[in-house]
Amino acid sequence: MLLHAALSGLVFGFYFTLVGLGLNLVFGVMRIVNLAHGDFLMLGAYSAFWLFGLYHLHPLLSAACVLVVFTLVGLPLYYLVVPRLLAARDSEMLSLILFFGLQQMIEAVTSIAFGTTERSIPGRVLGSGPVRLLGQALPTSWVFSAGVSLAAVALVYVYLYQTRLGMLTRAVMVSREEAVATGIDLHRVCAIAFGLGLGLAGIAGVFAPFMLGSVTPAIGPEINIAAFAVIVVGTLGNPLGTVLGGIVYGVSLMLMQTYLSSWANLLPNLLLIAVLLVRPTGLLGRRVRRA
Amino acid sequence: MPDELLEARGLDAGYGRVKVLWGAGLTVREGESVVLLGANGAGKTTLLKVLLGLLPAWSGSVALAGADITRLRTDHRVRRGMAYMSELAVFPGLTIDENLRIGGQFAEPRALRARMEELYGIFPDLAHRRRALAGSLSGGQRKMLGVAKALSGSPRLLVMDEPSAGLSPLFVSEVIEVLGRFRGGGLALLVAEQNVTFLDLADRVYTLDGGRVGFEGTVEALHADRALERAYFGLK
Repeated sequence: MLLHAALSGLVFGFYFTLVGLGLNLVFGVMRIVNLAHGDFLMLGAYSAFWLFGLYHLHPLLSAACVLVVFTLVGLPLYYLVVPRLLAARDSEMLSLILFFGLQQMIEAVTSIAFGTTERSIPGRVLGSGPVRLLGQALPTSWVFSAGVSLAAVALVYVYLYQTRLGMLTRAVMVSREEAVATGIDLHRVCAIAFGLGLGLAGIAGVFAPFMLGSVTPAIGPEINIAAFAVIVVGTLGNPLGTVLGGIVYGVSLMLMQTYLSSWANLLPNLLLIAVLLVRPTGLLGRRVRRA
Repeated sequence: MPDELLEARGLDAGYGRVKVLWGAGLTVREGESVVLLGANGAGKTTLLKVLLGLLPAWSGSVALAGADITRLRTDHRVRRGMAYMSELAVFPGLTIDENLRIGGQFAEPRALRARMEELYGIFPDLAHRRRALAGSLSGGQRKMLGVAKALSGSPRLLVMDEPSAGLSPLFVSEVIEVLGRFRGGGLALLVAEQNVTFLDLADRVYTLDGGRVGFEGTVEALHADRALERAYFGLK
C-alpha cells in the first residue's frame, strides 16, 4: 500500500508541478500573483470537455490547441493589465486585488454560460487498462497526464535555458532594473511569460478531468491553493523548483489519502504553514531562486 | 554632422514630487571621455537614468548623434549605440557567457562572437570561467564582467555609474586601464564618479551639485579653480 501511495503520489506530483508551473513563471518574471490562474485552468478543462464532446478531439490535441490559444489570449491581456501593475509601487498587492476580480468574473461568466454541473471526460480516452509500475497498477489516464506534465516542464526548461528569449527571461527574473538598463524589452519578455503561464494553466486544465475526477466553474480557488502550496514548497519565483514542490505535494497528498483520508483536504494549508514557518524561502531556497 | 554624440539640455527630473535635477545639461563628443563629478545625493545617478531613458525627463531634451531621443525607450537607445553600466553591473544568477551575450543582444551573432573573444582576451579571469555564475565572482571580478558586458555590444557611448564603488585601488586602476584601451577605438565615455582617480581618463569634466551642473571644462581648468579643487580633491 505504501509503494502504491508513493508511486501514485509521484504521478500526481508531476501533474501538480504543471498546475503550479505557470503561476510560478508569472510570479518569477513579473513579481505579480495571478489569482485567476486556477480559473484559466478551469477554462482549459472546459475547452477540452467541449472539444471532446463536439469533435471527439483527443486531449493531447486539445492541449496543443489550448496552449496556443491561451498563450495568444495572454499577450493582449498582459498589455491591458500588467504594465500598469508593474509601474505601481505595490504591484504584488495590487495584482492580488486585480486578479481576484478577474477570477470572480471568469467564474461567474462560465457559470452563466455553461451551468454549474460537474463535467468530466472518460478516462478510457487516454487508454484502457492499468499501467503496471514496480508491480503496482496505476490508471493509464494518470500516467498519461503525468507524462504530458513532464513534457511541459521539459519544454519550459528548454525555453528558459536553451533559447535567447529564455535567457532574457531569466535576466528579468534576476533583476528587472538591470534588465531594463541593459536594453532588454521588458514588456515583450513579460508578455510572452504571461501568455506561457496561461498556456501552461490551460494544459493542466485539459488533464484536470482525469486527475481530479471532474471540474466545475468554482474549482479555481481550490486549484489556486494547491498551486500556491506547490510553488511555496518548491521556492516561489523559481519555475523549475516547482518540480520539487509538485512531487512533495503529490506524494504527501497520496499518503494522506491512503492513511488519513479524512484529513487529506487540509494538506495544502498544512504544507503552506509548515514551509512558511520552517523554511520560508522554499525547499530550494535562495540558492537557485535567482534564475 | 554635429561633433556632439550626446547632448542633454535643461533637464528637470525627479521621483514622485521630489525634483532632483534642475536644468541639468551636458555634452559628450564622439570618442570623448567625460567625467561627471559629484558628491552623494548630487543627482549623478538620476541624470544618467534620464539620459538612458530609465527615468522620464520632466522637461528638457536629450539627443544622440543629432536625433532627439528624449521620449525613446531604453532598449531603443541601446540599439542606437548607448550602453549603461549600473552599480549592480551584472546578472548574478546568469553565467559569465550569458551576461556578455545579453550585453551584446542587439549585435549581429558573428560580430558578437568575435567581440566576446576579444573581451575574453582582455579579461582572462573571465575566459577561464565562462560557464560560472556571475554571482560566484569576487566584487572586483564582477565589476570587470560589468565592463565587459557593457562593451560586448560594441557601443558608441558607454555610460557608467560609479564604476569604482566597492573596488580596491588596484581594481580601479585596472578598470581605467581597460577603458583607456577602448577609447582608442572610438568609444565615448560618460563616467559619473566621486573618485577623482577617474579624472586620469577625462577629456572634460562636469560637476554636479544639488541637481545643477556647476563647473564644465578640462581637468586642468578644474585644478586651476581653488574652490573646486578643495571640494573634490580635499586640498587646503
